[in-house]
Amino acid sequence: MTIPEDFKTRLKIAKSKIKKQLDNDDGKRGSFMGNAFKLGTELVAAVAVGTIIGFILDSWFDTKPWLIIIFFFLGAAAGMLNVIKAANRMQKED
Amino acid sequence: MASNPMQQFTVYRIGPEIKIAGIDLSFTNASLFMVLSTSIILLFLFLGSKEKKIVPGKIQLMAEMFYNFVAKMISETAGSKAKPFFPFIFSLFMFVLFCNMVGMLPYSFTVTSHIIVTLIMALFIFIAVTIIGFVKHGFKYLSIFVPSGVPAVLLPLITIIEIISYLSRPVSLSVRLFANMMAGHTMLKVFGGFVVSLGILGGWLPLSFSVALTGLEILVAFLQAYVFAILTCIYLNDALNLHH
Repeated sequence: MTIPEDFKTRLKIAKSKIKKQLDNDDGKRGSFMGNAFKLGTELVAAVAVGTIIGFILDSWFDTKPWLIIIFFFLGAAAGMLNVIKAANRMQKED
Repeated sequence: MASNPMQQFTVYRIGPEIKIAGIDLSFTNASLFMVLSTSIILLFLFLGSKEKKIVPGKIQLMAEMFYNFVAKMISETAGSKAKPFFPFIFSLFMFVLFCNMVGMLPYSFTVTSHIIVTLIMALFIFIAVTIIGFVKHGFKYLSIFVPSGVPAVLLPLITIIEIISYLSRPVSLSVRLFANMMAGHTMLKVFGGFVVSLGILGGWLPLSFSVALTGLEILVAFLQAYVFAILTCIYLNDALNLHH
């Protein structure tokens, strides 16, 4: 089956139109917002997890305030590590 | 009409009470909307793949778009090794997306605005990824906790920090989805309440806010499903391709 020349050029034009649309579409802005949403919770979640681990270890070893304080700061460090990792990933994507 | 903005999140029983071994397994409105979302997905994909035309119709085009979107996301973030996990990530993405979107309809219930739902999904992903990592690499998988090029003095500290960072994955994954959905829906209800209480004179401003927020919420509903799926891909990538 031969494809008529007219159809071929029309297909070409349509394809380039789609490509142009994709390039400057809102989709890109959307993924930036997705990245922004990602970073905030990344930071907070690690602090929460660190503090919970500290709390559990404290009640195990009976060292009441100390481990929770240490693990709070370790959690904060882990949160920053998470953000750095996520930011590195974003830069790699671009 | 001082309706409570949090009232929309109440879970109540529909039909008879079912208790098995002391666990309440009754059918609730949350279950109803999960079933509803799943049936919409099934119907949509069934209609989309019923007639396999070369030039697709509207529904087929949409179904193919979703397929391509997820396939591209997986191959870009996790590489070709993650291909076998396509069905799982596709179902996850569709489920979160349709739960969010069904929740945007008036009088409906947003399943993903409950932390237990998102936490179970996140924990499942977390445990599955950990098992996959250990199956693929054995005990070498533990090396993700030990970054290369760290002085020996700092190594214990860094390892603890890396472990906390690893454990925080399910928390950040679930809290993000839950918090975004809950905050958005609460805000919509609060502004809706302002419209009613300010009446015909002052109600126009919050009404316009409500309209804008509804648009934003639809964007957030899509974005959160996307973020949930892409983070699953990233975690899967860490487990499949061990390079640090």
